[in-house]
Amino acid sequence: MSDPVLRTENLRKSFGGLTATDDVTMEVERGTITGMIGPNGAGKSTFFNLVSGFYQPDGGSVVVNETETTGMEPHEVTEHGLVRTFQTPRKLEGMTVREAMLVGPQNQLGESFLPVFTQPGTVAEEERRNLERAEELLERFEIDHLAGQPATDISGGQLKLVELARAMLAEPDLLLLDEPVAGVNPTLANKLADIIEELHDDGITFLIIEHDMGFIMDLADPIVVLNQGAVLMEGSAEQVRSDDRVVEAYLGGGSDV
Amino acid sequence: MADETRSAFEESEDTRQAQIERATNAVLVAAALALVGGTLVGLVSPSYLVFLVSLAAMYGLLSLGLNVQWGYAGLINFSVAAFFGLGAYVPVLLSASGSPITDAVPPIVGLFAAVVVTVLLALAIGIPTLSLREDYLAIASLGLAEVVRLVFRNQENWTGGTSGVGGIPLFFEGVPVLGTLPRDIGTVDLGIYTLGFQFWNGLLNALIVGSFVLVSYLVLRRVHRSPWGRVLRTIRSDEDLAEALGKNAYAFRMQAFVLGSVVTMLAGVYYAYSNYFLTPGIFDPIYTFYAWIAVILGGSGSNRGALFGGVVIVAIIEGTRAFGLSASWRLFAVGLLIILVMRFRPQGVLPPRDELIWPGARGGGTDE
Repeated sequence: MSDPVLRTENLRKSFGGLTATDDVTMEVERGTITGMIGPNGAGKSTFFNLVSGFYQPDGGSVVVNETETTGMEPHEVTEHGLVRTFQTPRKLEGMTVREAMLVGPQNQLGESFLPVFTQPGTVAEEERRNLERAEELLERFEIDHLAGQPATDISGGQLKLVELARAMLAEPDLLLLDEPVAGVNPTLANKLADIIEELHDDGITFLIIEHDMGFIMDLADPIVVLNQGAVLMEGSAEQVRSDDRVVEAYLGGGSDV
Repeated sequence: MADETRSAFEESEDTRQAQIERATNAVLVAAALALVGGTLVGLVSPSYLVFLVSLAAMYGLLSLGLNVQWGYAGLINFSVAAFFGLGAYVPVLLSASGSPITDAVPPIVGLFAAVVVTVLLALAIGIPTLSLREDYLAIASLGLAEVVRLVFRNQENWTGGTSGVGGIPLFFEGVPVLGTLPRDIGTVDLGIYTLGFQFWNGLLNALIVGSFVLVSYLVLRRVHRSPWGRVLRTIRSDEDLAEALGKNAYAFRMQAFVLGSVVTMLAGVYYAYSNYFLTPGIFDPIYTFYAWIAVILGGSGSNRGALFGGVVIVAIIEGTRAFGLSASWRLFAVGLLIILVMRFRPQGVLPPRDELIWPGARGGGTDE
């Protein structure tokens, strides 16, 4: 563990009397696909929200790419190379898939008001480049036939692919996926796994929350197990599978008193 | 199979949209012909015709401004009237002979002063409210607009209070040629009408408000199709998603709020210089609601829809007046219209045509 892209130390968050995340200290090593599992209520989603800036921690720190991002707004965290997706895919009303893709690229000149008038040529050039990259990715994910469809009209599984493709346009160092195959049919889940492997080979680091054990065990190494807001253990799929405490956490249900 | 049914459905939706657009155009052309015809046979005076067109442009500015805020960025802004009033009061308080402050500033310079004051007020209202959830923004902006109204009503030593401000000069007062043009042309006798100072001045005011609309429309059309506009639409649809993709939602909302407020303010400038006399009635919330009706009717997010909505508002206001109906009938008509639109065409009469991508980036490109 020498070059972490994400590091948290003693990260803590409670809502009223409920401690959702309690002293989570972990690292995501650059170049890995790190899995995160744990029973319902273990604090996985809270952890995602904390590191991506959607929640402010009560204590502890988050470091992304060697920069402390604790307390930053979500868009600032994104600027430091961490991009996340959401558990329920978000739909962009009134946009086509192509338009929705174009929200992905970071630091677009045309997103500033004045250059739209003072440098229209540069804005057009940039937009053309982004459009090309968007269409390449849609092709690579085999959903280019959807480009002209309203973004609200495509299926849940297709939306997951669009989200992943759009996140790639943001050129992240670390991509946080929140249950990428929840509600997705097995064929599409296999396709997603292939795509994630491929992007991983291109140099993207992943941190993935997933309840589908088959999917995450095949894909991720290492796997972090959360239980009752804290890290229970971390290890390879094999180690996780054979650890009694993990079985205990899932079956014993110590948290749902 | 599912794909086929969907595209077939969309096709019928498209034809329906095309039908509605044709019908809308037909109604607009018919109304224009009727008015011009009425003028030719002596039923509608040319001054009134020019006034109607100017009024439509004025309401068009109110709705164009609100459309940036609500249609692009999803801000429920109920402070339209505050900026409308500000656009009228700021230049007037600097240029009118009845102003308690000064009459030394030329109205054109006053216009730029109004831009500065508008930006400052928009920031003052925006900073505390734009981080609120949308329903809170609605109530907070309404409250702040009322505060502005009450200040202008009661702060007599600055604003003249409820008795208003008189002695408003012409907009081009002091400008060579344009300043004296309405007087210099003199009277032209057309038989049924005599076109005098009032007509020429009205025509000049129509050109002023017309150019405000033209410039605003061109600016807004361009930003709507830009990546900037796309970020606003993303925020409107899902703020968390915009943030997760690295967009500073608060900053973008602020830009939309300020831009929309400046466009709204321009309507007030026209109002002041076409009326000779200004009272705090311009801050009444009814103007806010007229703007909302125009935007919803035209289609949220659509610039041409906003302009169309402005025309309909004028048709209702002046139409009820022409038939001798009271103000309560006017409000009734407006309410009924909103219910009908919401029931039968929630997306508005002229919703934005779908894909908005910077026109230079691909072959062709759509118009709106």
